[in-house]
Amino acid sequence: MTPVDYLQFVLAPQVVNGLALGIAVVLVALGLTIIFGMLDVINMSHGEFYAIGAYAALALGAAGVGFWFLLILVPVLMVPLGMVAERLLIRPVFDTKDRHVTTLLVTFGLGLIVEDVLKIIFGANTQRPPTPIPGATEILGIILPNYRIFLILVGVAIVLGVAYVVYKTRLGAMVRAAAFDRNMAASLGVPVSLVYAGTFAFGVSLAGLAGVLLAPIYSVFPTMGRDFILLAFTVVIVGGMGSIWGAVVAGLLLTQVQALASLIISPVWTDPIVFGTMVAFLVFRPQGLFGRLGHA
Amino acid sequence: MHDRLTQSMRASHLLALLFVLASLALAAMGTATDDTFYLRLGTEALIFAGLALSVDLLLGYSGVLSLGQALYFGIGAYVSALTLMKVPSFWLAMAAAFTASLLAAIIGGLIANRVRGVYFALITFGLAQVLAKVVYNTRELGSSDGMIGIPVIEIAFGPFSVSTGSPVGFFLIVLVVIMALYALTAYLLDTPFGRVLTALKSNERRVPFLGYSAWRARMAAYVLAGVVAGLSGALYPMLRGFVSPELMFFATSGNAVISVVLGGVGTLAGAIYGSVLLVILKSIIGSWTEHHLIVIGLIFMLCVLFLPKGLAGVLRPPVEAWLSRHRRIPGPVPDAPVLPAIAVDTKAAPQ
Repeated sequence: MTPVDYLQFVLAPQVVNGLALGIAVVLVALGLTIIFGMLDVINMSHGEFYAIGAYAALALGAAGVGFWFLLILVPVLMVPLGMVAERLLIRPVFDTKDRHVTTLLVTFGLGLIVEDVLKIIFGANTQRPPTPIPGATEILGIILPNYRIFLILVGVAIVLGVAYVVYKTRLGAMVRAAAFDRNMAASLGVPVSLVYAGTFAFGVSLAGLAGVLLAPIYSVFPTMGRDFILLAFTVVIVGGMGSIWGAVVAGLLLTQVQALASLIISPVWTDPIVFGTMVAFLVFRPQGLFGRLGHA
Repeated sequence: MHDRLTQSMRASHLLALLFVLASLALAAMGTATDDTFYLRLGTEALIFAGLALSVDLLLGYSGVLSLGQALYFGIGAYVSALTLMKVPSFWLAMAAAFTASLLAAIIGGLIANRVRGVYFALITFGLAQVLAKVVYNTRELGSSDGMIGIPVIEIAFGPFSVSTGSPVGFFLIVLVVIMALYALTAYLLDTPFGRVLTALKSNERRVPFLGYSAWRARMAAYVLAGVVAGLSGALYPMLRGFVSPELMFFATSGNAVISVVLGGVGTLAGAIYGSVLLVILKSIIGSWTEHHLIVIGLIFMLCVLFLPKGLAGVLRPPVEAWLSRHRRIPGPVPDAPVLPAIAVDTKAAPQ
């Protein structure tokens, strides 16, 4: 095999597939990092919200709702779910001395329940919705499935949109103010309680959106969240907990490491490499690549 | 010195004693009815109680949540299994598991203790995940299938000898080991070292001002917890005759955390009760539905929200009140370190 062939048929597809996975991880990690950065809450049930999104897309899709409409509908449906979860589970323990541990435990319990509920409703089998955009395109001699190209483009748009809302709008400023100093923000008229619930719901809704987008590629099964959340947590830690750009950079970087490493070593060993990176970051640079959102 | 900590630990000891009595009753009943199933189930609950004990030592005393304690449990189990397949000696297996988990906990502690709080939880989680994946993919350790065919051994105690194949005999051995681990941890927590740990939990920044090294105390607690988990894990292959990578997975660590929260954080005895409670719940719910996670998740969540002190928070205050009535222990010293889960009304005690 000539070097050009290697580039065209081995390396480039691997890089692009890694990119699609990277975008997917970034979408899941985005909600996780926003919830941590703004609320100081570790959402262990984030992966299960991602699974709920995927199953909602599957069920509504089977009921005849079109894919494009699902992209809007599912995230919107996730908002009240997130609000209720925040009110019932996060709010009561929000002011306990050890907020990190308590909220982590509560959401861990929620994750267990959701996983089993999904199993009851949809069964334990793996299901796969039809690919909404079939076919493949040849770009520079590299054949790429259309849906992956779409996923990469949509993912970039979502990340930019979220960053715009958080950093450039009045709403984003209110949220960041509430995260930075709750009492000060409240006295300046920011409805802190609503902002907290809304932020949590926003993160949950992003997880749901990721579920809709990724269901056609990675299949749908009740424990799908559990497998994905590990990678998302790694991305959030390496990027710096609470940093949007950190999550983006780390997500793309780690999935490229995974994709390229699997060309050289057996793919089963890439997981230890990824988690090893997370451990190394926690040891040498626990704050991650970038600083934390809402905290100067 | 009788402060609130001593008092509440006495109540824990009494609960532990009640637990031993109940276990002995189970053993007696098991022997009478020639039962295997319940004794084996009880043995497994006891083994996982050891793991829960180690999680409680970290969460309840030094105040850090470990999401990867199954790492040391798994190391203990695998090392014990490897030893037993070469030399069928209980003591050698326990010694090997002790050494391996000690070394692993020192390495893990050097890594994990660089960070605090939520980062600690995630780093322990990551460490366990890395090693679990490595074991999962190592053919020499049986990969995803684990290792089977660990022989039944005779455990020699001087003139006596018990076979791991005997349900009641091995149940009693495990009871002795787990209770010894409980006694060891409880004793260490009653020493000045234990007070430094409680101080860490309530205010870590002040500990160095009092002349103690926070890092050293945290490290000691972590290594101790690792060894407790490792020794408990070493018993597992003797019971089941196999080990599998699932022992190191998050589900195992998560179950230990659930046990501790159900039983009551920071009570030691609570961890043991919680572990047994979890096994009972699982087998009861499991007998009528395979979806036991919903019920357990729900109970766990309600427990975190409404009963943060767990089962021990309910059981221990009456025990404590009873103890202080009958032993005439002086009331709480006003400035004693305040541990969770105690509200003794000294006025109510008869003069």
